[in-house]
Amino acid sequence: MSDFTYFAQVLVSGLGTGCIYGLIGIGFCVIYNASGIVNFAQGAFVMLGGMITQVALTRLGLPLPIAAIIAILLVAISGTVLERVVVRPLWDRNATMFVMILATLAAQIVVERATLLAVGDQPRTLPVFTDLPPLKFGGVAVSLQLIWILVTSCLIVAGLAVFFQKTKTGKAMRACAIDREAAALQGIPVKRMLALSFALSAGLGALAGVLITPTQYTAFNVGVPFAISGFIAAIVGGFGKPSGAFLGGLLLGVVQAAAIAGFGSGLKNVAALSMLLIFLFLRPGGIVGASK
Amino acid sequence: MTAAPARILETQALTARYGHVQALSAADIHVCAGELVAVLGPNGAGKSTLLRAILGLASTTGTASFHGEPLPRQDPVAVSSRGVVLVPEGRGIFGPMTVSENLQLGAYRLRGDKAEYGRRLARVLALFPRLGERLSQTAGSMSGGEQQMLAIGRALMSDPKILLLDEPSLGLAPRVIAEIMEKLALLRDEGLPILLVEQKAPAALKLAQRAYVLVLGRIVACLDPRDLSSHDDLAKYYFH
Repeated sequence: MSDFTYFAQVLVSGLGTGCIYGLIGIGFCVIYNASGIVNFAQGAFVMLGGMITQVALTRLGLPLPIAAIIAILLVAISGTVLERVVVRPLWDRNATMFVMILATLAAQIVVERATLLAVGDQPRTLPVFTDLPPLKFGGVAVSLQLIWILVTSCLIVAGLAVFFQKTKTGKAMRACAIDREAAALQGIPVKRMLALSFALSAGLGALAGVLITPTQYTAFNVGVPFAISGFIAAIVGGFGKPSGAFLGGLLLGVVQAAAIAGFGSGLKNVAALSMLLIFLFLRPGGIVGASK
Repeated sequence: MTAAPARILETQALTARYGHVQALSAADIHVCAGELVAVLGPNGAGKSTLLRAILGLASTTGTASFHGEPLPRQDPVAVSSRGVVLVPEGRGIFGPMTVSENLQLGAYRLRGDKAEYGRRLARVLALFPRLGERLSQTAGSMSGGEQQMLAIGRALMSDPKILLLDEPSLGLAPRVIAEIMEKLALLRDEGLPILLVEQKAPAALKLAQRAYVLVLGRIVACLDPRDLSSHDDLAKYYFH
């Protein structure tokens, strides 16, 4: 394999993982924009997406698409439950960001442990969506699951852009992000927008989990690493900016893939955190944010 | 004998606190149908707090009622749905969004009635033609005066039953203030009740049928602007 082909293979692999990080990062942004909250239970949604799909597929015998849709809907509902039970009582008391982060981290641990008790500690995986050999572009092999990830992610990002730019509800969510009190004064139901942002964010996380599980695996404890990667993607992209989070995710995926190819998987997290530090020092506003 | 005009907005012993600080003490005010009432007072007198207390945004005791029914507390969405709409100090426009989107969000509670939306939009654009020229412009990139027009226009898109305005002249040039006040006079003449909080007393007194003077959180006078022969008459309340 030539150097160029090797480089292209690493790039393609990184883009696939990066799409997943990007979707998780968008989840962070959607909630942050609607509420000012950083939700560290975001990783639990990713884990639940893959896990519920796997359980529905193997124990209930449902077809994969049906199992995936059910999982995404259930996780979206669990997002609103989290909002109602954990977040809103604190939000109503004007809890600080620190308290919110601790509360959502606690929720992440509760979901993680409940999953451990329910399904055990064995890693699980899903079949690939299309069981055909990889496509070859020159010497670069691109798996069909990777194409599923890339295409679905791009469609989701485009769909979200249309939702936030064109629909009344999307505009109302943006208004809540800009000035919550002014939005409420216009009659926009701010609390309903908060619940909707959790449902949307949880659904996005679950979709990311469904997409990535066939290429990796899922287990009760995969949520935190995904949450950290998604959070880095959101920061690198420009916190609060969904398009930036997606770009940040792509960049993070490629950097991690390059680090693994160059130095081994042991330095994967070092590369991710180094990139985060570089952005925080040189461009704290992120890729699409202000330069200072 | 003619009946007294109906009081549509009324506060009784309305008191507001920020922590241990009492910012408003037992305020009794009212606005009648078709009336423009000004609330005047020096900086820090509690004028904005009065409006926030009416809307239930501050910690309050006492009552604020609209058409005889108490207004909800800590629920600005419910207050807005009753037709009590505030144009806040600092305008509260959605700066990164376009003028058109801001106006659309003003009519958020209007569900799918395109004819009614068109009627409201036409009314706003007739009142503020400049907004019509800037519908696709980002709201935050407009001048202060245009932003104030947008804030009032957005409030009108909700078809308010009463309009509460908090210092609409703040930070604007005299010529722009005169233009804004002229538009408020038009709304008053159309019969829209208005409660106008304003530090620039001369501009407000030209429009108002009645004026309350608020000093150190207390209503110290209720005046008929026609009874004021000079600004010194008002100043004596400020230094009461």
